[in-house]
Amino acid sequence: MTSADQVNRLLALVPYLQSHPDAELGSTAAVFGVPPEQLLDDLNVLWYCGLPGGMPGDLIEIDMETVAESGRIRLTNAEYLSRPMRFTPDEAMSLVVALRAMRELAGGHQGEGIDTALAKLEQASGADAPRPQVSVAGGSEEIRSRLTDAIADGELVDLDYLGAGLDPSTPRVAPLRLITREGFGYLQAWSLERSAWRTYRLDRIDAVRRTGEPAGEVGEPPEFGPGWLEQRPDAAEVTLRLKPTAAWITEYHPIRAVRRQASAIEVDLLVADPAWLRSLLLRLGREVLAVRPPEAAAGAAESAAEALAAYGAG
Amino acid sequence: MSTRKSERIMNLAICLLMARRFIEKSQIRQVVEGYHDLSDAAFERTFERDKDELRAMGVPVETGSNNPLFPDEVGYRIRRKDFELPAIEFTSAETAALGLAASVWESATQAEQAVTALAKLRAAGVDPDPGRLAGLAPSIGAREPAFASIWSATIDRATIRFSYRGQPRRVQPWAMTYRRGNWYLLGHDVDKQAPRMFKVSRVDAAADRVGRVGGYRVPDLDLEAAWASLEPRRPDTEAVLAIRAGRAPDLRRRGRPVDAKQDVPAGYEPFAVSYARAADMVGEICAHGADVLVLAPQHLRKSVITELTATAGRAS
Repeated sequence: MTSADQVNRLLALVPYLQSHPDAELGSTAAVFGVPPEQLLDDLNVLWYCGLPGGMPGDLIEIDMETVAESGRIRLTNAEYLSRPMRFTPDEAMSLVVALRAMRELAGGHQGEGIDTALAKLEQASGADAPRPQVSVAGGSEEIRSRLTDAIADGELVDLDYLGAGLDPSTPRVAPLRLITREGFGYLQAWSLERSAWRTYRLDRIDAVRRTGEPAGEVGEPPEFGPGWLEQRPDAAEVTLRLKPTAAWITEYHPIRAVRRQASAIEVDLLVADPAWLRSLLLRLGREVLAVRPPEAAAGAAESAAEALAAYGAG
Repeated sequence: MSTRKSERIMNLAICLLMARRFIEKSQIRQVVEGYHDLSDAAFERTFERDKDELRAMGVPVETGSNNPLFPDEVGYRIRRKDFELPAIEFTSAETAALGLAASVWESATQAEQAVTALAKLRAAGVDPDPGRLAGLAPSIGAREPAFASIWSATIDRATIRFSYRGQPRRVQPWAMTYRRGNWYLLGHDVDKQAPRMFKVSRVDAAADRVGRVGGYRVPDLDLEAAWASLEPRRPDTEAVLAIRAGRAPDLRRRGRPVDAKQDVPAGYEPFAVSYARAADMVGEICAHGADVLVLAPQHLRKSVITELTATAGRAS
């Protein structure tokens, strides 16, 4: 941490402590995102700050004994710093991006509050501040609205869902929350049919139907972190050898390893859902040079043969 | 971080903020704690650095003269209206949104920035209320090695140099966008003398700064139009597909039911679906296997059959 970070914080801390008299040390540290020890250091710096001239009555007053005894902070004699400093450009941009990411996931009525909050923040942060855009594949606002309403009401819903294997299904789920991963929005929900936590991509949910039935207590799902696919115990590793023109798949699918060669690329995939691999291989078609283990290609080959028969070209 | 230095900069900021006129350097040296004991040269150096630090953190330190007859007698001040966060009133729906903002960033650096911004709002009497937007947990990543360097150069308007898939580039960053999990930079490519879009994940390592802060102006841009080049092309060609009953809702939704001139196999329904690139459409149709067949145009049908034949040949 630099002095600049500390001074930036102090210029907000002084007005904060004046508008929150007898603020508690721990919760104040949490508001500023620093450990309590750091906040104590901050107070010790402020103790030596004040109006120019350095006469005793010019200094900011903090009752350090009370801080030590009860953990309560009382700061006085700093009326001239009663408002915080403007946002730095970095702060404004970080906050705006966070709200825009939220907007991409929110439904109707939640979205309105985010839109107007954004407008006010952008006005407060000046005209020439950079305005980064955020776009997430989050499906339709109407679907998101229905889901957040059902979550708020703790109600089971029926989804019309098209899974990654392109098999339509109508799972009944207890919806928990909407999340984003790698630029896609997902519904995290408890599937009644499978008795397991599942994530549903929002742009693949076609319809949400309220059931009127209470969802009940569903608890918390396991962490859905960056390596979430790895946690599926039934995931198997498959290696695809592809023409270099198929390199795009490394940017759209969770890949374990990529080996680039002169005339081909090899990618290792973790496959939890055979239907997903089947549709991926069908999509890649002639760009697939080899599949290891070879039996992993059987599902797609069968499907392709069935389609050719339907064309009358098999 | 030095405690003495933080004290001195803080006292300097208060001194300049309280000034009604420009204060000359000699006066500042007398009244601000931490400058008295320095030699002339050390004071000059320290004061210049402190002033630059204040400006770098966004404190508007103004330079000017009180005396129009002696404009060389330079002094400094901070205007309160430029310094203070303007008063903002938020509704309860808005404070609920703000409360969630601290948890969105996966990158610790940007998360800290958002937390400090929210602390400033709290200092101004706003009460961001986490937990009111139950059911929403958005997140945004910034794992690209070059992200932090490009982000800060965009804010500072500083020219950078980086290696883009092995090619050296010099760029004046204009704006960034996050599209479907990827960060993009739009900027002026100094060597090509033209605007260019860069995918941040393809920048090989942290970018180097080669220009000063505020070194160029960002032109008035239609950002929406610039980012539109990242979106898929608008569909302009139509295919007639036979879709098996109850299958491929994604293609059904994009298309419309039609009366086909061709024979439609039993159990299938004809749909007209438009597309932009034939190669993408072939892949999309093949992915559905026997659930989706091409009735027209003929070249699309042929391409699909060619791809399916290759896939069918891989039976083990």
